[in-house]
Amino acid sequence: MSDRRDVPESCVRQVRLGRGANCSSIGSVVDTLFATAAVGAAVFAAVVAALASEPVRVVRPAPPPSRSAGGDES
Amino acid sequence: MIVRFEGWGAWVKLESTAAVVAIDREGVRALGLDGGNVWSAPPAVSAPIEVHLAVTARCGAGCKGCYLDARPDGVEPERQALEATLEALRDAGVFTVAFGGGEPTTRDDIAELADAARARGLTPVLTTSGLGLSETRMQRLRSFEQVNVSYDGASEAYSEVRGFDGAPAAERAIEKLAAAGVRVGVNVVLTRQSFPHLEQTLVRARELGACEGQLLRYKPAGRAASIDYLARRMTSAQRRDFAPTLRRLSGLLGAQRDFSLRIDCALTPLLSTDADIMSEPSRLSRFGVFGCEAGASLAAVTVGGRVAPCSFARATDLHAVDLPAGYAADTELERWRSFVESPPEPCFSCAIRRICKGGCKVVSTFVSGAHGPDPECPRVESHRAGLA
Repeated sequence: MSDRRDVPESCVRQVRLGRGANCSSIGSVVDTLFATAAVGAAVFAAVVAALASEPVRVVRPAPPPSRSAGGDES
Repeated sequence: MIVRFEGWGAWVKLESTAAVVAIDREGVRALGLDGGNVWSAPPAVSAPIEVHLAVTARCGAGCKGCYLDARPDGVEPERQALEATLEALRDAGVFTVAFGGGEPTTRDDIAELADAARARGLTPVLTTSGLGLSETRMQRLRSFEQVNVSYDGASEAYSEVRGFDGAPAAERAIEKLAAAGVRVGVNVVLTRQSFPHLEQTLVRARELGACEGQLLRYKPAGRAASIDYLARRMTSAQRRDFAPTLRRLSGLLGAQRDFSLRIDCALTPLLSTDADIMSEPSRLSRFGVFGCEAGASLAAVTVGGRVAPCSFARATDLHAVDLPAGYAADTELERWRSFVESPPEPCFSCAIRRICKGGCKVVSTFVSGAHGPDPECPRVESHRAGLA
């Protein structure tokens, strides 16, 4: 790693909060969805701060041979 | 943080904040990283970020809607086999592994399995009924990041969903786990009987020390895959009332910031009645709401060690230890994840299609006989009523 700098908030495409512990279907926190813009902005600010401070470890799955899934497709 | 490169950037699992974040390539470069061959190769199907691992099919509860058809004499995989699966999940870059079953706390080695997951960089979480959860068994759960207790409401509501009154045991488990410092949430299955009690159920759970309420749509799998499903699923009116109810409860319960509300992937289509969400669907994506991610960001591993698109779906032929190399190429998994590309109307033109992904395919397969638009989605119901 080299030249680490702050991740611009505009680069954060998606934030999935919480760990969840359901073993049968994937869950998503909805409080931020219904909250005010200020609450949403605070969540993203906290994420940017964490991205700036946490040590980095990379896992790198082998690239498989088909098309994309997951992530922000909007 | 743990970074997993994707064609569009990277998934990042944060440690100081309980969050998984998607950042674009520019954001990854800001971390001083480069996606290398993942970025230069053609776009590819990626591994799941969350896997649900059935560690036993043994359970004495006998819930009438059990999706696994778990029984007291159910099979239980050897620890060695489960550790081999955990190895594969690590190699694939999975972030979270949710232990379930059956009743996972009946395993004497459940704490060791959680430690084995952590040793491989996976975040272990667990779901339990709370039944028979002795002090000794509770101590074993301290290794988990979070434990969810199945809790469909106080006695009457619980009995209506599961066929017996396990509410006192569940309430005791919530209270004891929280007192022991375990982060505890509740799983609430929504049926036409439990939905009217939802507010009381969640308020009670929070009083007992739960920090999260996970709402689950009732699904026709295992013992619930019977004609009885049609009499137990939420009514059409309840499904239309779900989004406004969720909005109200989020305001009510989330105000003190000590309790969060989650919905499962199968409830996402029910958000289509919310005009604000439908007019700004990017909010769903921005705040990480998932619809059907079966065979994509989500996979399940059965007690037989096979990969399934989700816990409610039939297993594929892919063995869990082959998941890193075989996930993208498996044709059955591809059938599940590709539905979103060209679904029939009204899904094709739906504003939240890319997130909802056509709703729950377990439901559509049971009710309509094939993968198709979720027949219980209010928007689908309206569309079909208009065609009739």
